[in-house]
Amino acid sequence: MIAVKWFFLILPVLPTAVAWAETPPLPDSDNRPATLLQDGKYILKSMVNAMQNLNYQGTVAFLRDGKLEPMRYSHAVNKGHEQEHLLSLNSPLREVVRETGKVSCLYTATQKLIVEQRPFERSFLLDMPSDLGQLDAVYDIEVQGEENIAMLPTLIVALTPKDKLRYAHKIWVSRHWFLPLKVVVYDLAGGTLEERVFTELEVKDVLPFIAMKQPSNTSLLPDSPAESSKQAAFALTALPKGFTEVFFSRKPMRDAEQPVDHLLLSDGLASVSVYMEPKNPAQPPINSGVQTIDAINFFSHTQGDYQVTVMGEVPSETIQFIADHVQLRGQ
Amino acid sequence: MNDQLNQKTSQLFDNELPYDEALALLAKLRSDADLAQKWDRYAAISHALKTEQFVSLRPDFSAQIAARLEAEPVYLLPRNKPVKRNYAWLALAASVAVVSVVAVRWLPQLDSKSPNTPAPASLQVAQQQTPQALPHSPVTTRKADTNEQPLNARINDYLQAHNGSVYADNQNLKSMARVTTYNPK
Repeated sequence: MIAVKWFFLILPVLPTAVAWAETPPLPDSDNRPATLLQDGKYILKSMVNAMQNLNYQGTVAFLRDGKLEPMRYSHAVNKGHEQEHLLSLNSPLREVVRETGKVSCLYTATQKLIVEQRPFERSFLLDMPSDLGQLDAVYDIEVQGEENIAMLPTLIVALTPKDKLRYAHKIWVSRHWFLPLKVVVYDLAGGTLEERVFTELEVKDVLPFIAMKQPSNTSLLPDSPAESSKQAAFALTALPKGFTEVFFSRKPMRDAEQPVDHLLLSDGLASVSVYMEPKNPAQPPINSGVQTIDAINFFSHTQGDYQVTVMGEVPSETIQFIADHVQLRGQ
Repeated sequence: MNDQLNQKTSQLFDNELPYDEALALLAKLRSDADLAQKWDRYAAISHALKTEQFVSLRPDFSAQIAARLEAEPVYLLPRNKPVKRNYAWLALAASVAVVSVVAVRWLPQLDSKSPNTPAPASLQVAQQQTPQALPHSPVTTRKADTNEQPLNARINDYLQAHNGSVYADNQNLKSMARVTTYNPK
């Protein structure tokens, strides 16, 4: 009789006890003041820190224009030295490594290896500026709730543009690790332009650096040493609000011998490239007008003896604005 | 008499018997069992000659099929009422459709001849072209939609230089671009 009595006493408490047992270890965020967890910028700052200093791996689905590209992803860090590794799960099979500003991509079928210097990028998942204050002028940053992603609780940080010259972003940041578990870019109408989402994630104390084998068929894309944009054959007479010059290089591209001026602009989140090269009659002309490839808009036209192309993950109006303010030096 | 009948049967097989005589022969086939059997033999020989295959049927094969058809129940289903067609409306709809097709075909040409609208010659040519495989693209091109154009190989170079995530989402294998607006500037 006593046993039955105890059974009915324990029964209401049982679900709570089971739920408590299944809860992962106390998340870091639970140790922080609740007010901080309502501060979008604080969460983003913690996220940037976590992305650089944690060892983590999982499966990431890259979605663009209705196409899904699942990749195995890992990030390893050792004494401040980082390595990102991607392995495609679908054809064309390829392995990509980012390390010390260099990206190497090995295509398994052809054994072709492409090596490229990209000192101005930090992550395949999400590039954030080192100074988050840069975002203040053009984005409203706020926490918009909580959701579970890949069975992990997250805080949703929305970056809403203050104008129509850039796209809105939402980042689902793990409450426990402060890693970005999902990133979505929205077009001006609110439709999804692209999405990156972890389907599973594990954080390790240590992850090994992966050595990519060096096949004979290696394409070393020319180095892009950062140069001053004053050396460019063009200047921008005006920039959309919030955009600054991030990187400039003059280098040939792939098979072409003639160098191309490449100026990279960024508002901290969205980036725009401006390319200028002498017109080459041997090359097929690039169609005029604003064109779209998934989330990227681009515009190309001839200006004097040059072909000018502007492209980026921004609305076509922004592309057009920048193209309209390209001025050849000496004119 | 028999020779004449055999000849007519043979002519019927070859589709050479005049219409009236063919009808008379078919009527006779229904009433004359011997003639019907002969018809079956002719059919088998003709089939074997044409196809080099011969399938032997029982002599009563046709009769059994006919008997089974006779035994089929009769379904007294309500017949659909014939729809009264209003031919005037049909004629009007057809006229509108024809005018629409003609207008759709002619309007772009008229538009391109407008002095205020420069003709996007390169765009029109590009839309008619079959997309070519890019020189450094390991995949074949996608089928072009009406609003898609072959992507210039140079743009692929630019895409790769612009964003390293192209390696992740395979963006460097793009072969088509959508034209969202046309600005002839």
